[in-house]
Amino acid sequence: MLIKAILLGLVSIVGVIDSRLIGRQNVGRPLILCTLTGLVLGNLKAGIILGASMELISMGFVAIGAAAPPNMQIGSIVATAFAIISGASKETALAIALPVAVAAEFIDILMRMIIAQFGHVADKAIDEGKFKKAQHIHVIWSFLLNSILYFALIFVAFYFGANSIKPIVNSIPTVITHGLTVAGNLLSALGFAMLLSTMLSKKLFPYFLFGFLVVAYSNLSLIGLTCFSVLLAFIMDKVNYGGKKAAK
Amino acid sequence: MEESEKKSIITKKDLRKVFFRSMTIMCSWNYERQMHMGFMYGMAPILDKLYADDLEEKKKAYKRHMQFYNCTPQLTSFIMGIAASMEEQNAQNKGEYDPESISMIKTSLMGPFAGIGDSFFQGTVRIITFGIGLSFAKQGSILGPLLAVGLFMIPSLLTSYYGTFLGYNSGNKYLTKMYQEGLMDRIMEFASIIGLSIVGGMVASMVDITTPIKFAAGGAKLTLQSILNQMFPKMLPLLFTLAIYYLIKKKINTNALLIGIIIFGIIIGALGIL
Repeated sequence: MLIKAILLGLVSIVGVIDSRLIGRQNVGRPLILCTLTGLVLGNLKAGIILGASMELISMGFVAIGAAAPPNMQIGSIVATAFAIISGASKETALAIALPVAVAAEFIDILMRMIIAQFGHVADKAIDEGKFKKAQHIHVIWSFLLNSILYFALIFVAFYFGANSIKPIVNSIPTVITHGLTVAGNLLSALGFAMLLSTMLSKKLFPYFLFGFLVVAYSNLSLIGLTCFSVLLAFIMDKVNYGGKKAAK
Repeated sequence: MEESEKKSIITKKDLRKVFFRSMTIMCSWNYERQMHMGFMYGMAPILDKLYADDLEEKKKAYKRHMQFYNCTPQLTSFIMGIAASMEEQNAQNKGEYDPESISMIKTSLMGPFAGIGDSFFQGTVRIITFGIGLSFAKQGSILGPLLAVGLFMIPSLLTSYYGTFLGYNSGNKYLTKMYQEGLMDRIMEFASIIGLSIVGGMVASMVDITTPIKFAAGGAKLTLQSILNQMFPKMLPLLFTLAIYYLIKKKINTNALLIGIIIFGIIIGALGIL
């Protein structure tokens, strides 16, 4: 149990590395972290399947700008681990993931406040000509702070929660599990709405509707839709800008 | 190697360092100046080299890159490339060059670049690659996570890597041209059309909201959902997404929304409406 708890803690650090050290290549998404969680606990397939449903509801959760979406990295690792060891369903896993993700978000907010103070230390270091120190504050201090917090969180949750999780999971009434499943589906709508809020404008609304209607009525796959969208983009580009060039 | 009036100090090796460092741009993200330390860290090898024998100039340069910064990680290396070429000019023409222009170009670029970059990488490429990955992952196939990340990394890493050199070599030239010809808006619109249409498709295929409401009509039992499926499939996902979008636009705090939605979901689920 101790070793598993440590390994799961390391899985959460993969998420930290993704955003902090490698420029968000998306290896820290729930799909990947749940897969790794499944691997650690010896049930890869369950990890992937649970990862797919976690990814689905958090598809639109991206930390763009100052928005702090629920921390589905922590939420999905904890939920996947508990679901695998207790044999809980996908629905129950979601019911665990959501509250954990919301709670973990506050740790992120706290962390971002602490790092703002690091910034002042770095300012001072530069004034004193300690350029290396300023660089270390960025890449070592901040990374360690985040890693230690996430590691501790997952370690404590798993190490102390693993034994008591089964009775807890079994005692969750179905009304709550069902309600949280409904909420999870609604949250995937929230995710997309958040994504839209950074992309959508009145002028662009028809394109959103275009993609929606094509898939709603024809069940076209995403790859198929992508091909049509690229074509549409080319056509609209010609319509909007083609004439201008000819006039030149 | 171009033989211009002044030899360039910055080498390919230096720029490669900038590329690697640009990936840590979000390492010290914070509420005050967001990615400011990340930009300083990325520029550090360049600044160390250019201002090796002038401590005061070096401090000023470091401080210049400690100002507020926020942009898509994948496009940051391009902006760092431009900043590197401008710092080089500044170092070579001491006193004649206005270093303020370096900060100016950074500030004027990060906004539109973040708009294009975020909607392209997180809004479009990620949605497509993870959409593909998910269809495998649902069946428990390891191809799911592998494809999702693998396919994402190709455009992501290529853009960051070549962006560094493009920014350094001809960033300024391209940018003036792009702004003059209004190319920026054009690229933005092109990417937005694809991105939005895919998000639309995702709402239809991935938001799973259905209603179990049943009623009897002339002896036959009907479910509301089957009628919806006939007339307007996926109407509920669309309505909910747009309603939440409207609330976000009304500046309702996303945390409040989140908790509200969870409570709403439990209640409406218990009532048997959804």
